Formats: sequence, C-alpha cells, structure tokens
Amino acid sequence: MPWRRGLQFKDYYETLGVPRDASADQIKKAFRRLARKYHPDVSKEPNAELRMKEINEANAVLSDPEKRAAYDALGSGHAAGEEFRPPPDWDAGFEFSGPGFGGADAGDFSDFFAELFGRMGRASHASGRGARMRGEDHHARILLDVEDAWRGSQQRITLRVPKVDDQGRVTLETRTLDVQIPAGVREGQLIRLAGQGSPATEQGPAGDLYLEVHFKPHPRFRIDGRDLVMELPLAPWEAALGAVVPVVLPDGKTLKIRAPPGAQAGGQLVVRGKGVPGDPPGDLMLNLRVVLPPADTPRARELYESMARELNFDPRAAAGG
Amino acid sequence: MPEQPVLIGAPLDDACLTLEQLCSACAVTPEWVCSHVLEGRLHSPGDRPSQWRFGSGELTRVRQIRRLEIAFDAEPELAALVADVLEELDRLRAQLRRISPG
Repeated sequence: MPWRRGLQFKDYYETLGVPRDASADQIKKAFRRLARKYHPDVSKEPNAELRMKEINEANAVLSDPEKRAAYDALGSGHAAGEEFRPPPDWDAGFEFSGPGFGGADAGDFSDFFAELFGRMGRASHASGRGARMRGEDHHARILLDVEDAWRGSQQRITLRVPKVDDQGRVTLETRTLDVQIPAGVREGQLIRLAGQGSPATEQGPAGDLYLEVHFKPHPRFRIDGRDLVMELPLAPWEAALGAVVPVVLPDGKTLKIRAPPGAQAGGQLVVRGKGVPGDPPGDLMLNLRVVLPPADTPRARELYESMARELNFDPRAAAGG
Repeated sequence: MPEQPVLIGAPLDDACLTLEQLCSACAVTPEWVCSHVLEGRLHSPGDRPSQWRFGSGELTRVRQIRRLEIAFDAEPELAALVADVLEELDRLRAQLRRISPG
C-alpha cells in the first residue's frame, strides 16, 4: 500500500489529555470536558473550531475499542507531529466493525486518520444501514462577500471528502467545485448541491452537499438574516434639522434617505424592503451616528462658542448630572 | 486542464426538504425525527410525515441536537434545551450586532 509523504503522527492521548492506559470512562469524561470547553458556539478559546475537530477525531479513535487497539499497536514511540509511516500490514488481525470512516463530518478528520482507518469505509457502509444505498451527505461552510448577496457570485470551493477506491479503502480526496451562488442568499442559509456528496458504495445515487452561507466581515456593511445593517453618520445640523442624505448600497446603487429632525446618535432608521434582495426582501437598518466637526479653526471655535452661549443646553440634565 | 462545469447552487427555502432528505442530511432515522416532532423537540412541520417539509433552520437544529446527544450521551430533552439556549444565544448576538457600532 502506498503511503503518503509528510503524514504527521497524531497523539490522540495527548489531544484528550489522558494517559495511554486511561479507562473508557476516563476517555469519555476527558472528551466531554474538552467538548464543552471548545464548543464553537460558546468557547472563548483561540482556534476553538480547530481544536474541536482534533478532539472529535481523537475521541472517534479512542472511544472505539477496535480502533483504539489498532492505534495502540502502532506503539508509543512516536511524537506528535513527527513524520510518520505506518508499518506494513500494521492493522492485520484487527476487525473493524464499528462506525467507519463516513458521516457528514468525516471530511474534518486528518490524513493520518484516513491513512490508518480508511480501510474500514466499505465494511461499515455495507453493514451500517442495510436499506441505505445512497451516498453520504456532506456539509461545508462557504464565505461570501456582502456584495455577493446582491449580485450573486461564482465560487470555487475546495473540499476534502472521503472516497472509496477499488480495494474498498477510503482516502481523503481534495475536490474542487465551481458553484454558482444566486443573489438573495442570507446569513446561515443552506445551499444544496444535489449529487455532490459521497458516491454510493453500492448501486445508488450519490449524497448531496450542503453549503452553509456566511459573510466575510465588511468595513461598512453587515448582514443580519435578510437585513442589511450599516452606520449612517450625520452632521449635528443634519441630525437636528433633518436632512436627505445619500446612502450607497452594496450593489453600488445610491438611496436617498430622509433623516427626520431631532435624530439622536444611537438611534436607528429602518428602510423597509431595502435589505438583502429576495421574496420578501430584507430591511435596511441604519444605525445613526452624529459626527462633530473638529474645532480646529478660529471660525469653528467661534461657532461652538456661539452655540454654548446661545443654546441653553445641558446634555447631562436628563441623567440628573 | 479541461474546464469543469459550473454547478448551480439551490438555496433551501423555508420548507423544502422531505423527511427522507432531512434524515440523510443529518444522519438520523425517520423514527428519531418523528419522536422529536411528537415530543415537541422539533417544530411540527404538519400533520402527516409524508407531507412534512423542513427548511434550513430545522436542518441546523437537528444536527445540533444529534451532536449533543452523541457527544454527551444527552437525554433528548436536555439536548433540545441546549439547542434552544444556543439558538437564543445566536438571536441575542445578532441583536447585539444590530445595535453595536462598527
């Protein structure tokens, strides 16, 4: 069997922080503790998502007695990260009957995992769900520019997906797809690509690929569901007296927005139907910010001093200050 | 290198996945989904399972609940409660992003 150059050894015990003779219960507890610590939705740790993938992979091996026994048979003399080559027939004598190398998250596992346990793929597919002939569905995230929600876009997506070869061995294959993303997609929306998941292991259709849409940070725009959120800076006289001000949208078009008299910083204007296009379209949410002109010329200082004299205004009065 | 065809992405509408498609996408069984719908852990998508249709939100929720059940051996009710809390967290974060400057 050809081996992959540059394959790095992974110390799954080190990943979970357990000794090599840890009991199943210790491994389960360690995994749960780390899964809570690095849960991507709540973790404050750096690289939480990457750590969670490593933890999931380590747990997939160490929580499965057959995989763990085979992994242990590799010996303990390897250091994490060192270049690694599995001995010939290293897994002879091990019968893998548990969940194999498949499932929607399999693409997250490392080449090291694929090299060691890829052979399990066909057996587990065949024995897992008798009635299921379809290939696995897969999930991936896709990052779009905010402007793409208005104009649509063509994206090149690179995925690592498990592939079963003629010998029944599963390897991680890098696939590149060119995908047309229509206008009107919103944050968190799923896009389905029929037949682009794993191929069926027997006769049957391939699975589907689901892309979850997220938007890259933008200095001016933010997409919240179907709504477009942006800041609208106003001069003090525009805020006080009301004004019609131009707002440039992500598609380059300019809207004229009427700011009402007496607008305050921190307030919000809502323009219905001018958010992400669609049916229904989202709204445009404008967060108001009042920007003071600098008092950096004699004339500017004079104007401020005039206001101070002539306006009976205490901004702290309402706060009792 | 030959140019590969451009695939057309189909955004999922609010209710377009059948029960079978949802199960395939989330690696769960129809029985699992039915049980969660009947017990109120998933929103009821209609009267008869053959007519049920699910959207992006349900698909994300099913994957979330299933992951929690597996990772923590969580009781279905507890996994659904955590999913509720995470959804609320998402909603509040979105609200925060709306009002926070920058």
